[in-house]
Amino acid sequence: MGIKQLASIIHEHAPDAIKQGEIKNHFGRKVAIDASMSIYSFLIAVRSEGQQLMNENGETTSHLMGMFYRTLRIVDNGIKPLYVFDGAPPKLKSGELAKRFARKTEATEAHEEAKETGTAEEVEKFSRRTVRVTREHNDECKRLLTLMGVPYIVAPTEAEAQCAVLARAGKVYAAASEDMDTLCFDSPILLRHLTFSEQRKEPILEIHLDRVLAGLAMDRKQFVDLCILLGCDYVDPVPKVGPSTALNLIREHGTLENVVDFIKNDPKGKKFTLPDDWPFEDARDLFFSPDVRAADHPDCDFKWNAPDVEGLVKFLVTEKGFSEDRVRSAATKLTKNLKTSQQARLEGFFKPVQKTEEEVASLKRKNEDKREATKKKQKLEKKEKKEAKSKPRGTA
Amino acid sequence: MSMTVGECLLCGLQEPYKAVLLEARLEQANLLKKVVDAIKDLVQDCNFDCNDSGVALQAMDNSHVALVSMMLKAESFSPFRCDRNIALGINLTSLMKVLRCAQNEDILTLKAEDAPDVVNLVFESSESDRLSEYDIKLMDIDQEHLGIPETEYAATITMPSAEFQRICRDLMALSESVAIEATKDGVKFSCSGDIGNGAVTLRSHTNVDKPDLNVEIALSEPVALTFSLKYLVNFCKASGLSSTVKLCLSNEVPLLVEYGLASNSYLRFYLAPKIGDEE
Repeated sequence: MGIKQLASIIHEHAPDAIKQGEIKNHFGRKVAIDASMSIYSFLIAVRSEGQQLMNENGETTSHLMGMFYRTLRIVDNGIKPLYVFDGAPPKLKSGELAKRFARKTEATEAHEEAKETGTAEEVEKFSRRTVRVTREHNDECKRLLTLMGVPYIVAPTEAEAQCAVLARAGKVYAAASEDMDTLCFDSPILLRHLTFSEQRKEPILEIHLDRVLAGLAMDRKQFVDLCILLGCDYVDPVPKVGPSTALNLIREHGTLENVVDFIKNDPKGKKFTLPDDWPFEDARDLFFSPDVRAADHPDCDFKWNAPDVEGLVKFLVTEKGFSEDRVRSAATKLTKNLKTSQQARLEGFFKPVQKTEEEVASLKRKNEDKREATKKKQKLEKKEKKEAKSKPRGTA
Repeated sequence: MSMTVGECLLCGLQEPYKAVLLEARLEQANLLKKVVDAIKDLVQDCNFDCNDSGVALQAMDNSHVALVSMMLKAESFSPFRCDRNIALGINLTSLMKVLRCAQNEDILTLKAEDAPDVVNLVFESSESDRLSEYDIKLMDIDQEHLGIPETEYAATITMPSAEFQRICRDLMALSESVAIEATKDGVKFSCSGDIGNGAVTLRSHTNVDKPDLNVEIALSEPVALTFSLKYLVNFCKASGLSSTVKLCLSNEVPLLVEYGLASNSYLRFYLAPKIGDEE
């Protein structure tokens, strides 16, 4: 899922691309949320005593619980969410999907076994790994969103790609997903942790693509190439290529074509081996021209409506066994937030002044200094550890 | 950098010092105290941008609804010296803690060296020979600077700052937001909430004896806008800085609330309006 280690690379090389803030800082903004990813995380995270939440009939309700209350929290903070569901996965993803399926099957078996012999902890661990989002889950969430008056769209293929298109076109302020490949799809801003529970007190991360590119000193094509090399959903990762190697390879050779050339004709023998079937061009193609609805398509005309209170009560309380009081008070909140006049943000009127070159340069220098400092510290710590180890015991 | 032994102008002590880049002496510490007190609830950390024209500050609140813009002109200080543009990143809560150590009538001197780690504040008592000195650690603040376009406002209202504060506080009891309507007849602040509604209307008014109590309304076209009272009440903390306040409004642009200070210095607040739903 996503791009391996991309978050830590950005953190190290382009720290000013990431802003942390509270959820309420984003009020008045529209945000496209990757629904499939969110539902999956709800199924994993919204639990009680390690079990998924269920109603009396034994139907899972974790996803509805998550969708309902987390969306409520988002709306309550003045944000207008819209959800994007996954469509059919692209062909190139079939390899990754097959692997995921195998892992699930394995986890299911392990889960069964753990139930027989393992500890409660093991049972819970494997039970989380067997989670799969089914069509029913998706359909129930869509029904819930309609009742809540929150718009959604089903993407032709990948939800992240659709979110990115909407953000790029200015239909929404940002794409919200945990999946870093949203950046590869050219979303100008990515929000992480938006659908997390309030109790986790995780700050919302706001990642700006332009600053990521500036920090890495790359254009978008090189960035996508870097992500493919790091390991994405579409092609297998190259063995022995970790984050720093990938970064160096792209920096040195510029494009993936050149990197592939270099790996194949490395004069110093074969350090890296490419997987047999490595269609990186197709993967790049998917990132650059994914199958999405254009932002001016009629499907992308979103409306936020008043919630259908009775419908919500019928669905959540009668069918799914939620508490009626809580559902009704939540519905009141939804209605209220829709009605109150929106507070505008200053950015709509005053535009940020471009930083002068001098400022940009000094910022870059500062970042580099910081990086050097942490590296030095790490080295020093390593050295100390080594020294501590090499000392014979008992003499100190 | 080479260290030189020199005599500190203020304390007369011999001590090594780096080249002083900024030295700004304020006759009354009270001014800075009031400014910081007025903005510290809106902004936590911000850069004080110093150059030869004075000390400026611009910062938005966390949710990017309000903007503070302060300008203390070089003329407000005596003497004022700033050899190179420098941004001092200061945590306002820390600054307030130190400023509380000053008496209102103290003379305050701000000092910073070249490439500083700290900003130095010296308070001299005007009555006794007491001299206190504090250093505040500086921080790196990567701040966005907003360009504020020159605006010809449709309505400019000047009124006693205490009056504006009273209106905001009174209406806050009823509602979260206030509608400000300026017409040729006067300016009306109205609100409606769960318990009922309220309105205060002011007309142009000239008080010959006490010009501070004048209400002046300059209008090129009628204006009606809605704002969050929470922010306005917050701005009103600056009322102690000036006896009058100027409100500038134009339809569909942020409100400007300006407290004028001596020597053309000012403390300005901008507030984005509330807008009806576009759908």
